[in-house]
Amino acid sequence: MASLPKRIIKETERLVSDPVPGITAQPHEDNLRYFQVTIEGPQQSPYESGVFQLELFLPDDYPMEAPKVRFLTKIYHPNIDRLGRICLDVLKTNWSPALQIRTVLLSVQALLASPNPNDPLANDVAEDWIRNEDAAIAKAREWTQLYAK
Amino acid sequence: MKEGSVYDEGFNDDDDDDSILLEFESGSDIEYDDTGLLRRDPGLASLSDEESGKGGNNGYYLDGATISSRNVVIPKDELYENDGVPKLSYRCLTTDQIYELMLERLERIQPIFDISYEDIIVLLQQYAWSEERLLEDWTENRDNVIVSCGLKLGHEPVASRGIRKHANFLCHICCEANKMKTFTLECGHEYCLECYQHYIKDKLLEGKIITCMSCPLALKNKDIDAIMGDNSSQKLMRSSIKGFIQKHSNHYKWCPFVDCNCIIQVGNISTLSEFPRFHLSPYVVCDNQHRFCFKCGLESHSPGDCHVAELWVKMAQLESANLNWVLTNTKECPKCGVNIEKNGGCNHMTCKSCAYEFCWICEGCWAEHGGGYYECTRFKKEDKNGAVESKNAIRKYTFYYKLFSEHENSAKLDWSLGLTVEQKVKALQENIGISWIETQFLPESIRALIEGRTTLKWSFPVAFYSDPSHNLTKIFVDNQSLLVSAVEDLSQLLQVKEPQKIIDRKLEFFNKARFVRSRDKALVECGRDLLCKGICIPHQ
Ligand SMILES: [Zn+2]
Ligand SMILES: [Zn+2]
Ligand SMILES: [Zn+2]
Ligand SMILES: [Zn+2]
Ligand SMILES: [Zn+2]
Ligand SMILES: [Zn+2]
Ligand SMILES: [Zn+2]
Repeated sequence: MASLPKRIIKETERLVSDPVPGITAQPHEDNLRYFQVTIEGPQQSPYESGVFQLELFLPDDYPMEAPKVRFLTKIYHPNIDRLGRICLDVLKTNWSPALQIRTVLLSVQALLASPNPNDPLANDVAEDWIRNEDAAIAKAREWTQLYAK
Repeated sequence: MKEGSVYDEGFNDDDDDDSILLEFESGSDIEYDDTGLLRRDPGLASLSDEESGKGGNNGYYLDGATISSRNVVIPKDELYENDGVPKLSYRCLTTDQIYELMLERLERIQPIFDISYEDIIVLLQQYAWSEERLLEDWTENRDNVIVSCGLKLGHEPVASRGIRKHANFLCHICCEANKMKTFTLECGHEYCLECYQHYIKDKLLEGKIITCMSCPLALKNKDIDAIMGDNSSQKLMRSSIKGFIQKHSNHYKWCPFVDCNCIIQVGNISTLSEFPRFHLSPYVVCDNQHRFCFKCGLESHSPGDCHVAELWVKMAQLESANLNWVLTNTKECPKCGVNIEKNGGCNHMTCKSCAYEFCWICEGCWAEHGGGYYECTRFKKEDKNGAVESKNAIRKYTFYYKLFSEHENSAKLDWSLGLTVEQKVKALQENIGISWIETQFLPESIRALIEGRTTLKWSFPVAFYSDPSHNLTKIFVDNQSLLVSAVEDLSQLLQVKEPQKIIDRKLEFFNKARFVRSRDKALVECGRDLLCKGICIPHQ
């Protein structure tokens, strides 16, 4: 394996020394481009008190290419599909090499705080969300209790 | 001049416009519509061609007639064939040619803007080369356009644009501390040249504006070339034009043939809507002799019309799982289990091991089966039985689909045959010293062959949707068989390898190709008849 770019080393160091509140990111010992991530559900959101497991992978072309992030914990959210894939602009078209792992994870956390059913990835969930928001939020809470403990 | 009058006149309501464009051949003088991009627009013409005067020696539109540069008035009637079928006027372009047209156009509209040529290119890229939308926004809120397109910062510049030299610069993208050369825009976001090069390289093929790595400020072509040290910006321009073509697909279409980069541009798109009622399709031919339908973007699909083609393709997608079994080229002999490979279009299979004869489609014994080339009679019998109807519908479809795909494969093989024919023609010219014109019967024959195969292929969807009991359907099926044998005959002849023999049999080539053409035409006309008379009714 090619040596790790300085950029990744710097970012990893900072994630450990100066962690973001509510977020942890640990590089895998066998593959320093692969991170195990946890995000706490934001307060006042249906995901409150849940702890969600994610994986984050830095592709060869990082930071020119966006990191790949996926939820491992089951979650009921209009912008996250059954496979845990996330619909988030900074992970796609709005990625810029000036962004970082830290900023990406903050955006994911913000997405938990404000689901956007008008730009859905999981269409069925988004439909539920638009049709009956209260029921959808209740279900998201329920799933958080069931899977994100 | 009143603001807005420049484009109000010519840019409105493009697609329903009745005006017809005839003048394709005079190059830069012609503009077509859609977004006002390539259309002769009287307002703009008078702006940039002041000396020539409005409509002077440039073509422009009148109701029902067009004045061309030769000042010939062409009545609208001549845009139709004798039988009232619309004539399509189109031309074949490359992306480079389209880009050239854009640049010519740019020179004309530049006086409207008070900014540089380079800046207008950035704006047009951002607007997917749609002048109409750009001009609209520009008049409405110029400053907003300039900032939102990344031409200027919303605040005062903090740095000057360009490459800079350093002793040891710490780049925040790669986190390396010893960088000597950097690039920055007015925003002051400064990164090392290597990072910028890598960043740009990845984006050249996306065809979108490349911005600062940290903010929406746009890099211009000369920045890109300075950073890359070559003329990379041209690559970006080319991919940007591709985006334009996709966005304006009602006027422009890529040739659907593999590895062909031709773009067809239709001038009189308002006639497109007239084709369906004749059960005809607007076919165009690219410079590489590829014939395709401008409406649905498929290859030529006669005798089917666009509706037949569309439903057929949709069904193929839905049934793709079921179709796999029928499209595999080997099957076990129903009797002894030996693998038999299918070759050619015939469904009459004979096992090499046990000599059992069976039908490829239903695997029934051929002797009891008594079918013809296309017909699997067993399957027809079952058709009368209501209980198996739905299963049968799929069977019927797969049966026709199989024939369809077999002719598709043959057409593909004929393409490669066509390439060897090209070499044969060369050999004829070089070895025997025959003139180019005298060898043209060969490529002519191959074209007749491929078009015949394509017609055959698309005749199966028509047969599939036609009422099998009707007499005309039977005539259609007979016509199919006639074209099959004509095509096979010609295909056989094209296998001749020796140059001298080819020349000796020139007349034979000529006659067989002509026969294919006439059989092809007959089948197409018969198919159209089925459609016009409502015997062929495409349905889901
Ligand atoms: Zn750098
Ligand atoms: Zn910037
Ligand atoms: Zn072509
Ligand atoms: Zn069509
Ligand atoms: Zn056998
Ligand atoms: Zn046979
Ligand atoms: Zn059969």
